Amino acid sequence: MKRSNILMGLAIVLILISLGAWGYQLHKGLIVTNMRNSFSWGLYIATFAFFVGVAAGGLIVSSSVYLFNIEKLKPFTRIASLSAFASILGAGAMIFPDMGRVERVWKIFVHPNFTSPLVWDVIVITAYLIITFLSVYVQLLPDWRKEGRGFFNNWTKKRSQEEIEVLSKKWSKRVALIGLPVAILIHTVTALIFATQGSRGWWNTAVMPPDFVSVAVASGTALVMVISLLTVGKEKFYQYEEAFQTMALIVAGALVVHFFFVTVDLLVHGWWGKPEANEILSLVFGRYGLLYATELLLPAFTMIFFFTKRGKGSFKTLMIGSILLFIGVFVHRMMLMFPAFNAIPLTLAIPGAGIESWAYPIALGQFSEGMPVFVNTWDYAPTLVEYAVALLPFGLVLFVVTAALRMYDFLPQKRVGKHLASKIEQAKAPKGIDFT
Amino acid sequence: MRLGMVIDLDRCIGCRSCAVACKSHNAQPPGTWWNRVFTPGSTFHQAAVGKAGALQMNFLPVSCQMCDNPPCQKVCPTGATYTDERGVVLIDYERCIGCRYCFAACPYGVRQFNWEDPKKAKERVGYKEGYEYGYPVDFRDKEGRLVFTPDRPAGVAEKCTFCVQYTANGEEPACTRGCPGKVRIFGDLDDPNSEVSKLIGKRPSYRLKEELGTSPKVFYLAPTKPIR
Repeated sequence: MKRSNILMGLAIVLILISLGAWGYQLHKGLIVTNMRNSFSWGLYIATFAFFVGVAAGGLIVSSSVYLFNIEKLKPFTRIASLSAFASILGAGAMIFPDMGRVERVWKIFVHPNFTSPLVWDVIVITAYLIITFLSVYVQLLPDWRKEGRGFFNNWTKKRSQEEIEVLSKKWSKRVALIGLPVAILIHTVTALIFATQGSRGWWNTAVMPPDFVSVAVASGTALVMVISLLTVGKEKFYQYEEAFQTMALIVAGALVVHFFFVTVDLLVHGWWGKPEANEILSLVFGRYGLLYATELLLPAFTMIFFFTKRGKGSFKTLMIGSILLFIGVFVHRMMLMFPAFNAIPLTLAIPGAGIESWAYPIALGQFSEGMPVFVNTWDYAPTLVEYAVALLPFGLVLFVVTAALRMYDFLPQKRVGKHLASKIEQAKAPKGIDFT
Repeated sequence: MRLGMVIDLDRCIGCRSCAVACKSHNAQPPGTWWNRVFTPGSTFHQAAVGKAGALQMNFLPVSCQMCDNPPCQKVCPTGATYTDERGVVLIDYERCIGCRYCFAACPYGVRQFNWEDPKKAKERVGYKEGYEYGYPVDFRDKEGRLVFTPDRPAGVAEKCTFCVQYTANGEEPACTRGCPGKVRIFGDLDDPNSEVSKLIGKRPSYRLKEELGTSPKVFYLAPTKPIR
């Protein structure tokens, strides 16, 4: 069986499992998750934030080509745009199962409240979805014109192949340049959803938006690299070695910036020593210390590894580094939730009793025999249903990327002059994974 | 008009009658409490805290603080949470999409979610058949927004409404009426002659998490309980 068939099958299975679980959740209510009143966002929002992050790669890679003239990356601008489109589609899809009344989502568009960062996130994510789609579209137009297929492209038939080539180049650049600020905005606004909340000490910091951007540049570029590596294949790795090394350096460089932000963030949280901040830091380093260590150590390893000649030098090392980074970044997104929700905002000092911080208990929203109703901490761990539902974006990204790669040519071979014949010949050349 | 409440902690005996009155009048399902009373500093309610023999036991009722600068309203993407013309923060149960952003925003932990259909939750605990509690009919504000219904739809947020179904008609909230110690005083903060305004002017008062700048309209009169 062709590898792409297996991947398509896997994608469909993931999507079906997720939709099934979501159906069950719609029937029973969000009670089938382990979220409760005191811990009201969990795996879904973390997964959403993860996919917003990896969606950055597309426009980072394509705009580096145009802004900084990094010609080496040029062969991968199509894959980059595709990865961005698929990821932001996945991120957007993940939001829906988190809603208690998903059938009312249209109310956001009819009665938008513009003080809500969530409304702005809907706007920038929709914009990014359109821009990344256009980016893929304009880059594929010349191929479609040539091969007489594709969609929304009847208008190209009236024009010559050369005209379309020129148009494609011009608009690819334009879309990339318009897209870059929007790419930065999706991370900024997503971070602002959290960072604006004065009641949550763990989130309420101005360093969160720039840190989201740095993590996005790292993880987004890594995703483009992984898809590119799989498309190119081990055998042809050396043909594109320079491009991969450049991407590895972008990942490592962005991680340096990320760790800089993490350090100043922790220092500002900790230095003053107020009880609320101490409480958060004891959650981060104590109760969730293992997760936090994962979040720090895996990306730190990738950062150092990708700076070394060996780390960025082979197919295998780049894959390993990227996968470790993805795990680290996913844990990082989960760690948005744990310390934030388990530090109860209504925490009071009782000076007369010598108590510096006492958390006022919150009603869970569920009554069951033998379980307390009022809690000041909640051991959130996603339920099986939550894990199943959260497969949705993974399935969608896998589906969109695999389907697109097997339908169209996303890795145009290095150009030898402008002879169409030779290009067609090269487009037919065998690739690492048989996506045809 | 800015409706507000004064809670005299000197008088509170921690009996939780207000929480029970609130719960039953507003038909809250099992596990959901719009109004809570705890003993600050203590793991157990009605247990004293302190050190070196100097013990104290105060009680702190907490429900929606009806902020003048309500973060829950600012984060609400659809405007389902809004402040009505009397300064009361309300939720339109027909507009809430259940995103729970308000839960992250609220510093007071007063927001409650319908994680499942409240009818199912009530059924499961095994009340006597046909037993229903709470104000029995829907209540809509002047613009027709559904701000009270005995069984809220699954998947929406709910919280204290200052008993909108009563106070819109000039009556007092259930907690205020149900309090045996006359701890709670309800009234118009804009009216300098109202009892709430007078008490705030006369006695030392504070609001919860004042430093967050949410400007609550629930004022606490500090427990004085002179020991010397």
